[in-house]
Amino acid sequence: MDDLLNTAPCGFLSFTDDGRIVLVNATLLDLLGYERDELQGRHLDSLLTVASRIFYQTHLFPLLKLHDRVDEVYFSLRSKDGAEIPVLVNAVRRERGGIVANECVLMHTRQRNLYEDEILLAKRAAEEATRAKDEFLAVVSHELRTPLTAILGWARMLQIGKLDERLTRRALNAIERNAESQNQLIGDLLDFSRIISGKIRLDVGSVELVSVVEASIDVVSPAADAKGIRLQTVLDPKAGPVSGDPERLQQVMWNLLSNAVKFTPKGGRVQVRLARVDSSVEITVSDTGEGISAEFLPYVFERFRQADSATTRRQAGLGLGMAITKHLVELHGGTIRADSPGEGQGSTFILRLPVMIVHNTEPFADVASEPQIPGVDYPQAMELARLDGIHVLVVDDERDARELLTAILTQSGALVTAAAGVTDALDKLRLVTPDLLVSDIEMANEDGYTLIRKVRVLEEERARKIPAIALTAHARSSDRLRALSEGYQMHMSKPIEPTELVLAIANLTDRERA
Amino acid sequence: MTRNILARNNVKVGGNGTQPMLFAHGFGCDQNMWRFVTPAFADDYRIVLFDYVGSGKSDLQAYSAERYGNLDGYAQDVLDVCAELDLKDVIFVGHSVSSVVGMLAAIREPERFDRLILVGPSPRYINDPPAYVGGFDRSDIVELLEVMEKNYIGWANFLAPVVMKNPERPELTRELEESFCSTDPKIARRFAEATFFSDNRDDLSKVPVPSLIMQCSEDALAPLEVGEYLYRHLPQSTLRVMRATGHCPQMSHPEETIRVIKEYLAAERFA
Repeated sequence: MDDLLNTAPCGFLSFTDDGRIVLVNATLLDLLGYERDELQGRHLDSLLTVASRIFYQTHLFPLLKLHDRVDEVYFSLRSKDGAEIPVLVNAVRRERGGIVANECVLMHTRQRNLYEDEILLAKRAAEEATRAKDEFLAVVSHELRTPLTAILGWARMLQIGKLDERLTRRALNAIERNAESQNQLIGDLLDFSRIISGKIRLDVGSVELVSVVEASIDVVSPAADAKGIRLQTVLDPKAGPVSGDPERLQQVMWNLLSNAVKFTPKGGRVQVRLARVDSSVEITVSDTGEGISAEFLPYVFERFRQADSATTRRQAGLGLGMAITKHLVELHGGTIRADSPGEGQGSTFILRLPVMIVHNTEPFADVASEPQIPGVDYPQAMELARLDGIHVLVVDDERDARELLTAILTQSGALVTAAAGVTDALDKLRLVTPDLLVSDIEMANEDGYTLIRKVRVLEEERARKIPAIALTAHARSSDRLRALSEGYQMHMSKPIEPTELVLAIANLTDRERA
Repeated sequence: MTRNILARNNVKVGGNGTQPMLFAHGFGCDQNMWRFVTPAFADDYRIVLFDYVGSGKSDLQAYSAERYGNLDGYAQDVLDVCAELDLKDVIFVGHSVSSVVGMLAAIREPERFDRLILVGPSPRYINDPPAYVGGFDRSDIVELLEVMEKNYIGWANFLAPVVMKNPERPELTRELEESFCSTDPKIARRFAEATFFSDNRDDLSKVPVPSLIMQCSEDALAPLEVGEYLYRHLPQSTLRVMRATGHCPQMSHPEETIRVIKEYLAAERFA
């Protein structure tokens, strides 16, 4: 029996209520590096780490004493040479020959312990991520609702119809501005989801970053002027082109600059430098703004993060801009980092992109010279091209959308027939012969793809060959591809830019006529 | 309100005497820890037992991380129970962290308390060199929180010790499940932090009633230096170093614990 106890593949230990060790088996002695007579009679405390000692006194002993048994307690023992040895303990308290003994078996859990540590870390990370997502959802709802409040408020005022001309203009401006800002938020969200699902696509060409920077400065200068912030630039025009997607690089620059303006107080300064550094183009955006605390600095580019928590945030926004920026820069093979001496002392963002090696002196088309910034460029664009004499069939199952399209096109002089669905559209095509078809893709019952398939097999040739534009809420390139392959000539994403739509129709119908 | 406090703190009243003895459990357990000593006082005193909110069978709904983030919240529990039962002339018996909780309660409402019996007390667990030895470094406490976290993952095993002797009586297991100690890991962690990161050395001189310091020899939580420190700084205090070892003499050495308390009460009575 003694042999069995000593050679069992687990430690055995018994001790009195006083904590005096009565018996240990050879396995435990081996594990701890003690001789038998060194341990027997000694106090249990000397085998425990400090934390385990406290846990024993506050938890394990009371449990044993009150319930005579405990299972699966995690403990750390201290070996003779000072090493920490994690064990799992099962213990019972029983009387043997008039003496009460607490008898334990101890399993060494070195591997399991590492594994548990990993699980604990994962658990904490998961809890943190959930918390961040909850906070993010709260922020998203709040940010999406803010512009809506203004839009709804002004729309109701307009509906009541008692606004004078000045107020009406103001109402329309407010609605437009807020819708734009909401569009920007949704754009950020979509970008972000594309980035995390790896679905973002770059249309790569040669880009002169100087023009990208200048275009971005044009965009942020009204906001900077309003706050009395000086925008200074030191741009080296000979820095060389980089290879990239002009729109995406524009977005990066715009994010950096608008952030700098946003976080810089009135009367401050934002400085942009662009220079060639080795085989990279380096852009430095520095400001005299709020700065970034050393604690927050490592998280600047993490998603859902803003230095302020959701309840105390002073700055609007989703906290996605910087995460998107970093991903886009990395997609371009570049790097970005943030620097700040501390809170209140301004911050600097340093962006580096590899210079494109150009052998041909004939320059690539300067793609970035006419920047297209989503959602920013149309306040002055109400001058629409003319569509006089052009007959357009508009198909959308949502009445508001249909009416908006009809209004835009009618205003440009087009004749519009509207249809509320595929069947309706096909019926109309039998009665009239429009020059062009504009159809929504996502519709109840039958979608825009079905419509174009049915149109392209119509008997009447003019109807069968009608040029068609697809409209979708998705701007994914897979959507565009599908629209084109099903038979549309062009794909445009919502929300529709009136000037673009009118221009597109003018071009398509011109081509037909030519 | 009345029923609320009594249910909230799982208050149990017994004994045949008139002067109340109020027993307050320490961190990690509940009023069950007193079961080996209370019978010895039942003939002469009114015995009042309770669980702090967050421990034992207290009402977890009443828990607030803010209130119980420091020991004042626990002292308020003691005063709430006293007010509810209209206790006066109380002999407060506090184990471990409850010693300090009792001092805080007595400072706030001295008129309720006759004297304090402090079992394994410490006004500060963390060393403050060079003058003060508490027994622990901050890193020890951080490690304790980790040990607790690991054990609380499998806490169900603690809560439901298998009743091997009575497999045919599952209701016994259920009773045990309900009866045990700290239940919620977050609450236990906060209690541990409130306990081990506290520093109440400045409160000692304000304690307005006599006290008995019951210091165990070889207590892993309160070394002898702590008992001596308390004795020097607590006005009207008596220090008894017990033969009992460990931190829970009321469970490991109930006879000696009872004897020391009785001797103290008798001596004070004739003093």
